[in-house]
Amino acid sequence: MRSTPEGVAPLQQPFEEVFGQVILEPDRPEPDFVIGPHGKAAAKRFNVYRNNVTHSLVTALAEIFPATALILGERNFRMIARDFLRANPPRSRLVFEYGHGLPDHLAAFEPIRHLAYLPDVARLERAWLDAYHAADQAPLWPGEISAIPPEALAKTRFTPHPAMRLVRSDYAIHTIFVAHRGGPMPHRIDAGVAENVLVTRPALQVEVRRVEPSQAVFLLALGDGAPLQEAVEWAAKGDPCFDLAAAIGLLIESGAFSACQPATHDED
Amino acid sequence: MARDPIDTSTIHGRFPAFEPAGRAGASFKPQHLEAIAGDPGSIGFLEVHAENYMGAGGPPHAALAKIRAMLPVSLHGVCMSIGGLNPLDQTHLDRFAGLVERYEPFLVSEHLAWSTHDDVFYNDLLPLPYTDGTLARVCEHIDRVQEAIGRPMLLENPSTYVLFAQSTWTETDFLREIVRRTGCGLLLDINNVFVSATNHGFSATDYLADFPLAHVGEIHLAGHDEQEDDEGAPLLIDSHDRPVADPVWTLYERVIRQCGPITTLVEWDADVPEWPILRSEAAAAERILGAHRQRTGRSMKSHALHS
Amino acid sequence: MSTKIALSAAYIAGTVAAALSSGAFAAPLSQDQVKAAMDAGKEKCYGVALAGQNDCAAGPGTTCAGTSKVNYQGNAWTFVDGGTCATMELPGDRMGSPEPLDRDMAS
Repeated sequence: MRSTPEGVAPLQQPFEEVFGQVILEPDRPEPDFVIGPHGKAAAKRFNVYRNNVTHSLVTALAEIFPATALILGERNFRMIARDFLRANPPRSRLVFEYGHGLPDHLAAFEPIRHLAYLPDVARLERAWLDAYHAADQAPLWPGEISAIPPEALAKTRFTPHPAMRLVRSDYAIHTIFVAHRGGPMPHRIDAGVAENVLVTRPALQVEVRRVEPSQAVFLLALGDGAPLQEAVEWAAKGDPCFDLAAAIGLLIESGAFSACQPATHDED
Repeated sequence: MARDPIDTSTIHGRFPAFEPAGRAGASFKPQHLEAIAGDPGSIGFLEVHAENYMGAGGPPHAALAKIRAMLPVSLHGVCMSIGGLNPLDQTHLDRFAGLVERYEPFLVSEHLAWSTHDDVFYNDLLPLPYTDGTLARVCEHIDRVQEAIGRPMLLENPSTYVLFAQSTWTETDFLREIVRRTGCGLLLDINNVFVSATNHGFSATDYLADFPLAHVGEIHLAGHDEQEDDEGAPLLIDSHDRPVADPVWTLYERVIRQCGPITTLVEWDADVPEWPILRSEAAAAERILGAHRQRTGRSMKSHALHS
Repeated sequence: MSTKIALSAAYIAGTVAAALSSGAFAAPLSQDQVKAAMDAGKEKCYGVALAGQNDCAAGPGTTCAGTSKVNYQGNAWTFVDGGTCATMELPGDRMGSPEPLDRDMAS
């Protein structure tokens, strides 16, 4: 056994606990157990860790939410992101899973309340990265639906593809997303137009498409496990002109679902 | 405990077997995929950070499967939190072991550091005091990793900016004792040695003289930044954002001259350049390895793990 | 569900069958087709994203974001237009760009 050096008090609590608390609170001095060599001070030394943690996570958020960062401007975004991470440090060790709480944080932050579309844009960006890392699965093949006897179709249920996400918004989040992530930037964007966005990844490319409100209702109902007829009824309830043929085309083309199961006899 | 040496012939063979021991490699960055695929012979191996491939699916796995079909890959974990108080996270350990199984890396490594405490992940390699207590904990964690992956791992020496008043072991003694107790190998990061030596005012040469070099299965080289400490003296930052510094090359050349070729990685993680620049850094390491390959006749096997 | 519009199962079956046979839409590429494209060296298919990587790089220096003591949540902070938000219009003439443009931030 090697005992604690002479004149040094043993640690009273786990060093990680103090180290971790202080690292996110620059108002507090560095822990008294961290030292420099030969009696040198450790303030700047400890700040290296503060910067590593803060800088790496702010940078990760800027990468995960590039459109949000462009809209706010780099400087504003980094300040907001820094406050966010101090209050909401990551719980996952996988950096690409970070930031699910950022949209709500943006919505609650008074100085940017007037950017009402921003939280939903951030939600769409987070959904994009979730889809990017989702499990690989072949999307539903049209032949799988064709093979179902016509009388069983109405009660057929669909399994959502692991990458499928739907973000509904009162704002023009698809237009804003596309303009800020590689698409052409219009002179003006009317942000007040409600847009629903379907995110899928049928193979390796994440696909982002704007869908009609009734299509969103239809896809969400199917995604929740409703049989086809019920999903159609929900969609038609909100929009009597709901086009089922177009919605089936969307369902196939987008790769939003991975399988379908005709009703069993028990359900009839 | 005694462990079998890494023997690439015994693993599943879904991917080609390579013999990259004693070669130079580079960090794999996805933006380099196309350039590497066009000329895979230009590099000895590639190293990936395990966590970037812990998603369920998508392009990261497609890219890793593609490079693994062309080249040997080493798996480098960056947030197992081996030096932390909490028991290892079972989910994380399972994901890590799953990657070892799936991609058949020729080397598997992690850090003497911690990054998670009570569910908060700090996304940095944080330092620990070197005491009997932390030694026992680190060894327990390494045992668990090695059991999970069914093979020895390499443990990397850290670069640090602070010391702990409570430390009772030198870093080299601490590492030596970990190797003795767990049978793991070591990943010698020579840039980390130079960074820590400068920051803490000790001699990098003395540190290397005291380092258990016989157990080194891989060497890391990287670039660092220079700042100032509270007294205005140089404080080096392990930034991985530029070419390897000259004094680090000098230390490296000395280690290779003494030990013979040891598998060497050039790391570059921020401000990543075009592939030819990173490849030329690895080529510089390859030249040093080549110069000492004939002369020393050191076995190309992963000898460091046989002891 | 009494308010739902009743649609017959026959209507659904007929519409779906017509949609599937119309050829008006394309199924996404199969995994095999994608793999073939990748093997042919079409790396674009990977759609590489570098968002949120775990890496080993230490951040910059000893004085930057990590050491700033200003808490923008707690302090009064006026948003200063720095990005593209001025491009976005909202109804009610609530433009993306805020009125006061005074730069009152401590750093």
